Amino acid sequence: MGNKKKLSLSQKQNISGWIFLTPATVLIAVMSFYPMIRAIILSMQSGVGAKISFAGLTNYKRMFADAIFMQSLKNTFIYLIVQVPIMLLFALLLASLLNDKHLRFKGLFRTCIFLPCATSLVSYAIIFRSLFAVDGYINTVLVNLGILHTGYNFLSNPFAARIVIIIALLWRWTGYNMVFYLAGLQNIEYSIYEAAKIDGATYFQILRKITIPLLKPMILLTAIMSTNGTLQLFDESVNLTSGGPANATITMSHYIYNSSFKYVPNFGYSAAMSFFILILVAVLATIQMKVGDKRD
Amino acid sequence: MKKKILSVLMAGALCTGLLAGCGGGKEASTSGSQAADNAATAADDNTLTVWCWDPAFNINAMNEAAKVYQKDHPDFKLNVVETPWADLQTKLNTAGVAGDLSTLPDIFLMQDNAFWKNQISFPDVFANLTETKAFDFTQFAPGKLAYSTVNGVNYGVPFDNGTVIAAYRTDILEQAGYTVADLTDIDWDKYIEIGKDVLAKTGKPLLSCQANEADIIMIILQSTGASLFDDKGDPNIVGNETLKKALETYKKLKESGVMILVNDWDQYITTMNTETVAGTINGCWIMGSIRAAKDQSGKWAVTNLPKLAGVGEQTNYSNNGGSSWAVNAGSKKKDLAVDFLAKTFAGSTELYDNILPSGALATWLPAGGTEAYAEKVEFFGGQQVYSLLTDFASKTPKNNTGVYYYEARDAVAAAATNIIAGADVDSELKTVQDTVNFAMGK
Repeated sequence: MGNKKKLSLSQKQNISGWIFLTPATVLIAVMSFYPMIRAIILSMQSGVGAKISFAGLTNYKRMFADAIFMQSLKNTFIYLIVQVPIMLLFALLLASLLNDKHLRFKGLFRTCIFLPCATSLVSYAIIFRSLFAVDGYINTVLVNLGILHTGYNFLSNPFAARIVIIIALLWRWTGYNMVFYLAGLQNIEYSIYEAAKIDGATYFQILRKITIPLLKPMILLTAIMSTNGTLQLFDESVNLTSGGPANATITMSHYIYNSSFKYVPNFGYSAAMSFFILILVAVLATIQMKVGDKRD
Repeated sequence: MKKKILSVLMAGALCTGLLAGCGGGKEASTSGSQAADNAATAADDNTLTVWCWDPAFNINAMNEAAKVYQKDHPDFKLNVVETPWADLQTKLNTAGVAGDLSTLPDIFLMQDNAFWKNQISFPDVFANLTETKAFDFTQFAPGKLAYSTVNGVNYGVPFDNGTVIAAYRTDILEQAGYTVADLTDIDWDKYIEIGKDVLAKTGKPLLSCQANEADIIMIILQSTGASLFDDKGDPNIVGNETLKKALETYKKLKESGVMILVNDWDQYITTMNTETVAGTINGCWIMGSIRAAKDQSGKWAVTNLPKLAGVGEQTNYSNNGGSSWAVNAGSKKKDLAVDFLAKTFAGSTELYDNILPSGALATWLPAGGTEAYAEKVEFFGGQQVYSLLTDFASKTPKNNTGVYYYEARDAVAAAATNIIAGADVDSELKTVQDTVNFAMGK
């Protein structure tokens, strides 16, 4: 006991702090960091199936010569550049509309817009596929309205297929982002809006001068999350279009899956491509933080 | 102080419990089904574990095989674990890369198209069946056997038949003034000519296919004995006259309206069941889906597929899909597994008679001669469909699947899509060759 008495209060607190930290640290290290390190090692190996050997940076060089991987990178960036801004803008508009104090049935509207988020990724992708089929609902409506003569095969045209995926993504994720904005809007004093209205500010002036600046941290968060999610897009590519027509809609994650499980298994190459996505996410998030966060 | 020690102890106990829980949980979940089956199998030398995926089809066949085998081996037990193909492939990859074969069953079913790929990737997993001398492989249809024969060694026991049939709606053909005989032993030019006529008179195309899939092109290719790879396993695409002709035929089929393209499998089945099309061409397992439309009974007939005139062997027979049984080389009960397969799937006409009603057609030729195979099937207008198919199977040319089959097939499918959109055939073939070469690391 004599020993322990020599410890000062802060030392004691330090020790118990570390004891509380240890279990979580050990778990994260074993479950997350160890596999990550193994994945880095794997990404430097190459070969067919079980016969893999060290190959240095070959896999990383290889992916830039891989026409299909480059195509998937291009596709993913098209989704990112077109879909994310539209989605965030929609989410912001919806959130500011639904934040109106005088609006009735607010809860109902909010639930309805958030509801797509509760559907499974696979099932909504399959539903969109059947909606846009040649004899699907969309075509039936267009034909009956006299806009088209016969059903148009949306998913067989590269441009149309990408649009369908973007529409599907908008439907699935806009409500999700809206909820973040709604939460952010609760922290903005209503009196600021009232003051603005008394001063005669229009709706868009309020949006531009009050809502967006005050929501900036939230917008930054959703932008980073959406970027991250889009770069890892998988279900829509697999289930809605199967990557087709002619790889026009294949995403990076879909191609990584193919190269591990559909094609001759090359886990080293797959691991390398996965790390490339990680680097992309990190770089894009850093840029967004630098651009968006002006606190300092 | 005591309280503190106690709380530290409790926290420690909680962590250990958690870690142990995780460890235990992991073991139980990775093996999921296997923890249970291995418990039963490990203790018992007479129980085999099998992975396959279709309860109405191959699982049923395995259970029937167990019944046949049990007559001579009363102690024998079979533990069939339903494992969807995608899961089986994932588990095989994981076990193969880890080098731990104990997580795999004694016998597993392998898609024919994936057989080479998996054998080359994980050679330690597949037992050499030629070496066992338990099988007479000459009794199998050669076109089918080639899928599971790698470098002259047999690694699989052929199971279901993927022989290609052309099925037509006789009532629709009649409206246009044709019979099935007019569509038997013809070539693709004649097929398109008749198809245009049928389309003009009845408004129904003869064929529907899945866009983004190369099934019909691969079927045409095999009907001439050609492959996407040569004997050495190198891609055989640029300068492959058969492939070029097959792609041109595909384009003609689409442009003439004789073939319509749909986006997924369900839509493909729907086109047949809702009378959007007057026929189809696919592996004979498609009959199960055709027969799902009970109101169309008696309106269908089966015949051989059109041939590709001018190149190769020019037959009217081909193969699409199918699977073969493989034995785990690391299994402790390998000998039992081999004996079981040899006495059932490679040695029992009774088994094949029993599983015929489920649509499992034998590729083991002696089975095709039994009475059950001579049955007249009412759905197909009283045709002796089963014996017809066994005959087709024996005439199907061999095909060299190659290790990089899926890469090549996807590349051909992409090329076909581009060719329909107007791309030049030769430059597309060049792209396919480049894609496959790249995948092979050349």
